Amino acid sequence: MGLGFTTAVYVIAAVLFILSLGGLSGQESAKRAVWFGIFGMALAVLATIVGPGAGLWQLTVALIAAGGVIGYLLASKVEMTQMPELVAGMHALVGLAAVFVGFNAHFELVNILGMSTETKAGLEGFAALLAKKSAIEINILRVEASLGIWIGAVTFTGSVIAYGKLSGKVTSTATKLPGGHILNATAAISSLACLFWYLNSGELLPLTILTLLALFIGCHLIMGIGGADMPVVVSMLNSYSGWAAAAIGFSLGNDLLIVVGALVGSSGAILSYIMCKAMNRSFISVILGGFGGAAGPQMEVEGEQIAIDADGVAAALQDADSVVIIPGYGMAVAQAQQNVAELTRRLRAKGKTIRFAIHPVAGRLPGHMNVLLAEAKVPYDIVLEMDEINDDFPETDVAIVIGSNDIVNPAAQEDPNSPIAGMPVLECWKAKQVFVSKRGQGTGYSGIENPLFFKENTRMFYGDAKASLDQLLTLISNN
Amino acid sequence: MIIGTPKEIAADEKRVAMTPDSALQLQKLGYECIIQAGAGDNAGFPDTAYSAVGVKVLKTARDLWKSSDIITKVRPPEAKEVNNLAKGKLLISFFYPAQNPDQMALIAKNNANVIAMDMVPRFSRAQKMDALSSMANIAGYRSVIEAGNNFGRFFTGQITAAGKVPPAKVLIIGAGVAGLAAIGTATSLGAITYAFDVRPEVAEQIESMGAEFVYLDFEETSQDGAETGGYASPSSPEFREKQLAKFRELAPEVDIVITTALIPGRDAPKLWLADMVSTMKPGSVIVDLAAERGGNCELTAPDQKIISDNGVTVIGYTDFPSRMAAQSSTLYATNIRHMMTDLTPDKDGQVVHNMEDDVIRGATVTHAGAITFPPPAPKVQAIAAKTKEKVKEQTPEEVRAEEVAAFKRATKNQVGLLAIGGALMLSVGAYAPASFMQHFIVFVLSVFVGFQVIWNVSHSLHTPLMAVTNAISSIIILGAILQIGSPSIIVTLLAAVSVFFAGINIFGGFLVTRRMLAMFQKS
Repeated sequence: MGLGFTTAVYVIAAVLFILSLGGLSGQESAKRAVWFGIFGMALAVLATIVGPGAGLWQLTVALIAAGGVIGYLLASKVEMTQMPELVAGMHALVGLAAVFVGFNAHFELVNILGMSTETKAGLEGFAALLAKKSAIEINILRVEASLGIWIGAVTFTGSVIAYGKLSGKVTSTATKLPGGHILNATAAISSLACLFWYLNSGELLPLTILTLLALFIGCHLIMGIGGADMPVVVSMLNSYSGWAAAAIGFSLGNDLLIVVGALVGSSGAILSYIMCKAMNRSFISVILGGFGGAAGPQMEVEGEQIAIDADGVAAALQDADSVVIIPGYGMAVAQAQQNVAELTRRLRAKGKTIRFAIHPVAGRLPGHMNVLLAEAKVPYDIVLEMDEINDDFPETDVAIVIGSNDIVNPAAQEDPNSPIAGMPVLECWKAKQVFVSKRGQGTGYSGIENPLFFKENTRMFYGDAKASLDQLLTLISNN
Repeated sequence: MIIGTPKEIAADEKRVAMTPDSALQLQKLGYECIIQAGAGDNAGFPDTAYSAVGVKVLKTARDLWKSSDIITKVRPPEAKEVNNLAKGKLLISFFYPAQNPDQMALIAKNNANVIAMDMVPRFSRAQKMDALSSMANIAGYRSVIEAGNNFGRFFTGQITAAGKVPPAKVLIIGAGVAGLAAIGTATSLGAITYAFDVRPEVAEQIESMGAEFVYLDFEETSQDGAETGGYASPSSPEFREKQLAKFRELAPEVDIVITTALIPGRDAPKLWLADMVSTMKPGSVIVDLAAERGGNCELTAPDQKIISDNGVTVIGYTDFPSRMAAQSSTLYATNIRHMMTDLTPDKDGQVVHNMEDDVIRGATVTHAGAITFPPPAPKVQAIAAKTKEKVKEQTPEEVRAEEVAAFKRATKNQVGLLAIGGALMLSVGAYAPASFMQHFIVFVLSVFVGFQVIWNVSHSLHTPLMAVTNAISSIIILGAILQIGSPSIIVTLLAAVSVFFAGINIFGGFLVTRRMLAMFQKS
């Protein structure tokens, strides 16, 4: 079938993709939106296979089917708590694919430049497109391909490291090689030098060096970012994989690649921006890793952490009318969301108002907590954002903090010298009583002392979140 | 140490400061409990119930005062009791130190200690020991029951075969603890309930209990209850006039009036005057919970029930809690038990009289031979003072000017950004060939569409958004499909690997998204 037909299908697919992203504005429309995306993808792939320029369609279909089976198995097996790792891991695949496709563009280019004019005329598809290019266009193509390869390579190693950090296979603390950012900067400048070298020579060597440098940057950059900043990293990598696709789209002259790449790229960029804003950090400081230097000595935390047992918590919950639960990464780690949901059901059955307060950066992925709670069948209309619920804490009888720390740290508001000063936090300490379910007395991911734990109305409910909630459930009967 | 509770000697006092339940808890704190024979009889706790939980029953008050280190009581001690309070002993009871300066001085001279349950400061941590609130709660409930007892009709409106019964109208003045309890009781009996308070911030509480707030249209810097520890303070003469006018208007309509208005440290304000009583319907009932302090109603006679000339019953009993002795003893004993818990941090039966603790300090009126009343202001504010920042009223001109300025600023920003973007575009266009610019247009527009669309995505769907963008970023597969047919083996190989990876991503990404979205459910 002709190029015109393929392009027409691409237009339809592009519209479907835009609708699919736009549909995510509400829970109900999102269920429809994902079908738009699936349909768009199917159309685009089919049209490309039957369209001009594609060959070996049997192999292509077989490979997609094989990949599909693996993808299906992965996706149906994964626990919702492992979602961050899965998403990071899949970014790596896209990055690697972009690197390969970019290299292919280079190989094709080398092949075609070596051909005689007659053979060029006999070419079709992508090769024919390349053959018609002028000298300037070929240089632009090289820039585009190297850009695609570079971003793809950064995405690949970056995602692999992010996967390692999220799954606990790599230490989650920020680690850097000696030299730190200077090393990154040198690598970036060398990459640029390689690009010019490649433009002039058109050889494989500079392109390979450029790729290796990019692989190093991706690895070193993400290694240097602490675990608490992971939501930003994941959405940033998401953005990168989009830009890589767009760059490859330029070099292949494929508009659909450009459109989708740009959509994904801007989506990831916006998510990163939202995450950064929620932590009151500039994007640059997250990327450069670590918290900014404190301006002075931090406030001394006075008082002691007072522990409470399950009986005490249960009694307080029986008396309370309104309860707000603040879940954090600790809930995900302990896989306690089912117990939280069961507790919610039982308390709601007693006619109490139970709500959830979700901080934008709770967990390790944007919206992480929402997904976990949804998995446990907590109705989404009692799950509220920080801005929606912060004003309600003074009227709340009991606030339960399950495995979150920095996002409920009053130091952000009270101590101007705190490293997280100015970060918006959930003001749970304004509730009449606060229970903190926590493993032990240690500090959170950022390593900052949390004055909340020392407040007069705070009681510490030590232990693994799941075990603690199990105890609590035995005390709060079903009827 | 030994905690002892004597029989109350005031006439008609039926309450007791220790119940078998509370004794059990006190024993857990390491104390030994003793009680005077017959102390709990009137409250429904026979001596046998006490001895069953290991409380020693002593015959005479003398023995009891002698052998206890800590004495818990309900009423303030009378002269002979004060004499029994030997050096070093601790008395916990209602004391009203402001009204009892002589006794206070005497006790201080004897080197004994007193914790006054009526002086427990009002903040969250101390609520469990707030005996005044527990008693007020009971008084509020009982006042409605007492009114019903003297009111010859139903509370609730009914339409029966024998005719229509209108609902009773109840007015409650003062919405403190007693007032709110009375509102709750009256509404649950089915009466139409109105309530009034000088503190406008309690309107919400009144409405939450199901009564209608009697709104007074008066321009005055409203009283901030937080400053006075949650209590009302005296109002200006103009306000009072307005208030009385409102009551006069309501008097002919209402069937039952329950007054609970008290101002700390003063006589009860006269709010229900004789002329209002005279306009009320015969058979109506007034219950004056402020009778002990002179009463809110002009006709009130403390401890008596009188009937006015026009047949309105005015009840001035001062012993409502005592009339429900079983209930009030239970609550009061629990308040005392909580006080003891705070006084016994180590649970070893030894009192640690920590004068640094706001609650203990506030309630202590004599300690170590000195009078410690009145207490200093607590370190913690009673009720979190609401800082209502008054937004300055802006004139329409200022608002307009601000809007115009904001509009100009936004325009300037937007035009600036457009100019910079446009200049960049032009400089790219000047050098790049047309074939590149075609794709570039598509790219820029897509980024633009992406920005517009993504801002609308709801926060809770950010994870599905990442999964779906991840899935569609495998669109890179198109590039690989186009290259797979290449004559070059290496190109085919790399393209094949890419197709495979992208295939994993497409199926994995979409499936995960579907799984996540399927979980979002409405309740």
